[in-house]
Amino acid sequence: MESGNSLLDDYVLALTGAERPRVCFLPSASGDADHYIVRFYRAFSAHRCEASHISLFRREQGPEDLRRHLLSQDLIYVGGGSVISLLGVWRAHGIDAILREAWEAGVILCGLSAGSLCWFSEAVTGFHGAPQRLEGLGLLPFSNCVHYEPGSKRRESYHCFLREGMRAGYAAEDGAALHFTGEELSRVIASRPEARGYRLDVSGQRVVEMRIATTYLGERGVVPAAPLPEALSTAVAA
Amino acid sequence: MGPPGPSADGGPTAPATPVRRILALGGHDFTSRPPDRAVCELLLRLAGERGAERPRICILPTASGDTSEQIGRFYAAFGERSCEPSDLSLFRLGRRPMALRDHLLSQDLIYVGGGSLVNLLAVWEAHDIASILSLAWRRGIVLAGQSAGAMCWFEAGITKSSGKPLAAPGLGLLSGSLCVHYNNEPERRAAYLQAVAEGMPGGYGLDDYAGLLWEGEDSPSAVTARRGARAYRVCARDDSVSESPLAARFLPAPAPAALREDIAEFRRIKTIRKRAGWLG
Repeated sequence: MESGNSLLDDYVLALTGAERPRVCFLPSASGDADHYIVRFYRAFSAHRCEASHISLFRREQGPEDLRRHLLSQDLIYVGGGSVISLLGVWRAHGIDAILREAWEAGVILCGLSAGSLCWFSEAVTGFHGAPQRLEGLGLLPFSNCVHYEPGSKRRESYHCFLREGMRAGYAAEDGAALHFTGEELSRVIASRPEARGYRLDVSGQRVVEMRIATTYLGERGVVPAAPLPEALSTAVAA
Repeated sequence: MGPPGPSADGGPTAPATPVRRILALGGHDFTSRPPDRAVCELLLRLAGERGAERPRICILPTASGDTSEQIGRFYAAFGERSCEPSDLSLFRLGRRPMALRDHLLSQDLIYVGGGSLVNLLAVWEAHDIASILSLAWRRGIVLAGQSAGAMCWFEAGITKSSGKPLAAPGLGLLSGSLCVHYNNEPERRAAYLQAVAEGMPGGYGLDDYAGLLWEGEDSPSAVTARRGARAYRVCARDDSVSESPLAARFLPAPAPAALREDIAEFRRIKTIRKRAGWLG
């Protein structure tokens, strides 16, 4: 849902393998902001997919049976915002358990920023001032950091948390996306030529940062990975 | 004179315990209509009673998902008045970081807007707001709110957070339960009466524009900003649930700001004319 750049949106839609994929947007991290919902429907327009959204702040308007609705999707897209609020609201409505079930049933999960952090065991959020550690849903047994720009406060804090015992994980610069199949990273793609993804490990007190070969989706001839039946796909972007 | 002596019970003299105050409102808006203005006036008065010349009033719009609409209406109502209005938007801290605890504890009145009670409590829990609000209350900061923002102070309320009206827990600063929009939403009232019959602690029903004000005591006083709007005590009796309307104090609406200026002007002219002997 980058403005003026649909490369990552095209990529996740192609991953579904469906001609007219069913896509549901979860804008919970933004407090279900209207302008964000409108942006989703513009990016995922009716001619390319069957789009819907769930507003947990306006339950009287949306689908009554959340579980059935979410399990019937090809792709679930989680928007950015406050990951702390996101997880709080999800737990209150039982969305955390439904998303795990959807993932296990082969629904592709994706999201950006807070919508990336939420899938991991641990994450670095910088949304509320000073960066802090938090626990996510734990579908992916790694740590995650988004907006991993050179010299950023988040980058510095992530390294610090890793030295303090945070588990190894993955980071993405703005425009880069990490595509996992099951719990394995299958590839890193990007909507901007310079954007990169990183693998981070700790060796003793030393943080080892490894830049991952990243495919820029704007080059001609890059074909999205073919959908893998039975595979659990999670594509996350910064 | 010697040092301050011990108090009657033998312990050191303790500072007076602040009065714990909560204003629960069954439903209102921040428009310029008379009953809405009456509610605003009450909020300003309660905040002002803490002694500040320009009392600090903060809205927590969490239950709405921090909608610009709710925040905008709040500022429209209080922006021109003699107070310091602010908003604490937990979904927008990214753009506007705030020290939650310091900000909340520096207020004279904390107003909680309506929306989803379930989400309100969940987001507050995630940000650890509940303990701050409880402390604010004990320190004498007025807690207020309408709809979900009123039910949140009780042990339980009836919310439509999941579509259908269902019982959901609140913070429990006040014992018992509350049901809002009592006159307007018959299905919510029916769900409340049933829940109380089935063992939920009894409490109160509030019509839109009716309110309950706790000022230290165990029982509240009822207020109403619109004729006919009522507050009810709702209790389980052997086989039934009773609803008894409470006597309520009517809150008159102040003149709107523009009119207030006109009246002041008229009075000034009248005084001048009187002095000049033009009027009897």
